[in-house]
Amino acid sequence: MTEDEKFFAWLDGELGPAEAAEMEAKLAVDPRLARLAEQHRALGSRLKSAFDPIATAPVPNHLQAPLRPSEVIDFAATKRARSMPSLPQWAAMAATLAIGVLVGTFVPQRTAAPVEMQGGNLYAAAALDHALDTQLASAPVGRVRIGLTFRDHAGEICRSFTQSASSGLACRNGGRWLVRGLFAAPEGQASDYRMAAGMNPNLATLVDSTIAGGPFDAAAEKAARDEGWR
Amino acid sequence: MDRPLSFEDQLAALLPRLRRFAHALARNPSDADDLTQMAIERAVRSQGQWQSGTRLDSWLYKIMRNLWIDTIRSRSRKERFEAPPDEAARHGEDPRDKIEASIDLKRMVAAMQRLPAEQREVVALILIEGFGYRETAEMLDLPIGTVSSRLVRGRTALLAMVGEQ
Repeated sequence: MTEDEKFFAWLDGELGPAEAAEMEAKLAVDPRLARLAEQHRALGSRLKSAFDPIATAPVPNHLQAPLRPSEVIDFAATKRARSMPSLPQWAAMAATLAIGVLVGTFVPQRTAAPVEMQGGNLYAAAALDHALDTQLASAPVGRVRIGLTFRDHAGEICRSFTQSASSGLACRNGGRWLVRGLFAAPEGQASDYRMAAGMNPNLATLVDSTIAGGPFDAAAEKAARDEGWR
Repeated sequence: MDRPLSFEDQLAALLPRLRRFAHALARNPSDADDLTQMAIERAVRSQGQWQSGTRLDSWLYKIMRNLWIDTIRSRSRKERFEAPPDEAARHGEDPRDKIEASIDLKRMVAAMQRLPAEQREVVALILIEGFGYRETAEMLDLPIGTVSSRLVRGRTALLAMVGEQ
């Protein structure tokens, strides 16, 4: 290694302790070298901060396309969830943000609001809570339709649901249904929601990142209900 | 109940960093995104060649770097016979404008472009992407001494170009 190379290796933290100490001793008595170290440290952080915004900007969709399944997410696709990509972090964050907006616009219809805030968390309430507790996907009753039932990575049971113009995902948390995400139905689908016709893409993304293994079949769904969603 | 992260999951997580590397290598933003796209497609196609348990990031960077070298080589063959395209015409819409949180980016990209490719890749991997000398040497299939000397030349030239600005 030349002296120059040794100097930069020191700057980059690549020297062993003995050689590093030697270099530091040299810098202590050589202001020219000390100034050079300073300039190169500044150059390094300038390079980092110039290029870092690229790594924090959202990746354009067309670049992510090869990593996504192209078909609409339906039961069969979700069963293949093992090979599906998870959502980028920012999508999860966007999903969380959507909750706040929707809670504000959730209009209680005659009955009580379907969600309630408690300790900073959003829980299913009233008809939604009841539907999550009792309904099976195969037997929709009333305004709430249940979609997928599955376990998350922590082993808790989660269920996706649709209620009038919104759809969302709720998971068991301390004996209640914690709402993990709530999304407005796409235009024109408000009253005509069909799981197989295409889950709200945000919800599909949230489900994809939450699901561990595949969704329950009808028998497993019923058994889970009978055991109190434990 | 946890399932291991799939190959696609892990690739998606590395995508932003990989894209940053592409922007440090390529001469303009659209070339950088083309390079990113080629690298992702190549990685997905050849995922059987990645050995689980080894570092996926190094493997991906290596794919991208090799594709970039191929691109440079075929371009220089082509450009021997053709006039270089007009800079303004080539750019079109510049996606970098949208992510230009740092006004320094264009200046640094321009400076990087003036480095020889062999120095640029070493500077990008070590000073921007944060790899160690040894990891970089392994990715580039070079002796560590070669990496170290190219890095010295590259960063010294960069400082001379942008140091006083």
